[in-house]
Amino acid sequence: MAWRGTLLSIHIAPAASYEMEELAEAELVARRGIVGDRYYLGTGTYSPKPDAREVTLIEEEALDALAWNDPPMQDAPIALARDEHRRNLTVRGVPLNHLVGWRFRVGECVLAGARLNFPCRYLEELLGKPVFLPLYNRSGLNCWIETGGIIRPGDVIEPMGERTTKPNRAARPS
Amino acid sequence: MTARIVMKLEVVERIDLGDGVARATLRHPRRPALPAWTPGAHVDLRLPDGKVRQYSLIGDPDDLTTYTIAVKRDETGRGGSRLAHQILREGAIAHVSAPRNNFPLVPGRAVLIAGGIGATPLIAMARALARRGEDFAFHLCVRSEDSPFPTLVEAVCGDRLSVYRSSGADARRLDVAALLTGVPDDVHVYCCGPERLTVAVAEAAAGRSEEHVHFEVFAATSDENYKPEPFDVTIASTGQTYRVPADRSALDVLREQGFALPSSCELGVCGSCECGYVDGIVVHRDVVLKPSTRQHRMMLCVSRARVGVTLDL
Repeated sequence: MAWRGTLLSIHIAPAASYEMEELAEAELVARRGIVGDRYYLGTGTYSPKPDAREVTLIEEEALDALAWNDPPMQDAPIALARDEHRRNLTVRGVPLNHLVGWRFRVGECVLAGARLNFPCRYLEELLGKPVFLPLYNRSGLNCWIETGGIIRPGDVIEPMGERTTKPNRAARPS
Repeated sequence: MTARIVMKLEVVERIDLGDGVARATLRHPRRPALPAWTPGAHVDLRLPDGKVRQYSLIGDPDDLTTYTIAVKRDETGRGGSRLAHQILREGAIAHVSAPRNNFPLVPGRAVLIAGGIGATPLIAMARALARRGEDFAFHLCVRSEDSPFPTLVEAVCGDRLSVYRSSGADARRLDVAALLTGVPDDVHVYCCGPERLTVAVAEAAAGRSEEHVHFEVFAATSDENYKPEPFDVTIASTGQTYRVPADRSALDVLREQGFALPSSCELGVCGSCECGYVDGIVVHRDVVLKPSTRQHRMMLCVSRARVGVTLDL
């Protein structure tokens, strides 16, 4: 796959339901998560349920589509801001849905695409915005962190052309 | 009921108003406007020990630059108000949820009845009623002459306020039954206060329609004679059944089984963990669901079932 994308912003939340906070840089720890984030700390809504959530990504293109009400599944366009969607990394130019089972680089870090993120009613309730259906199939990607490091907005995201050996669902790698 | 965003708000002002009541004004450190709210709404204050307490918003919903709450320090309570007084210092950060309203103001004439700190949800209501020129009265019972609430309420509704002090030179008691006798049935009655007051209002309003009598309750009903029994919960979508032991809640057991369920107060007052059920005899122990809703909805944190219940999950 020939593509080259960009990391636009980084957000974490200290615990379930807490507002997302924007970071100028973040430390990714392999097999753990983003330092300070709820899934690194074990305080997330879904922390009791083992799953791939070390870092989550979403495409800015999906947010753009919501903003012009495409597809028109609700009465009006939805402004879903980068600090509202509750994924950690907002990216542009990255075909996230194609990265399940593949390694890719974000700056100096290596992520492994684990599974597609799935929209949840919890987010809809939290925001008071009908985002469940319009996010269907473009809700982002849940990843394992294979190589940790520091990432910053502006970092290049690019494919490595390698399959990950990690399981793509549920079980956490040991 | 809904999950709500938790914000780290800055305490920009803290004033001790007397009689153990502190008023705190909260502002978002980055956003110019806080989430909107309507009179009667409350926020959750998350305390450092993990507990959550509800406080009504007493400010003006037209001004979303800040939230204002009043916290009465209760020396005999569960400790939440003492901790709240400690953390609500000027310059400190308070973890506060977006507002929720279980006690909304509906159109129509109104009688507001409050006891002590129970005045807080009614203050914003009184301001709204006064603004829209509605016919209403505010009856406020206070124990201490130092109570700041007569002054706070008078500031929003002037001579519509009647104060009943239980001590001091001008001591008098509110006769709820006599008061409501003179109030037509189509007037909405709103009440918040200690159990003795809410019970008196509930009794005096027994003949009125449920839609015209509104209570805000921040302490779960405590029935010391209630003895929890184990029961089974069945998940309607899968048929799976789990046993809830006598010493645990359905919420706990389901979470352990991987169900992501929202909750907040875990006392049966906030309404977060509301869940539908399709079969079974539910022992409702919450104080938030309306009787008409209890036929098919329950609160998983405190309510239980006789033998078993099938949940709409």
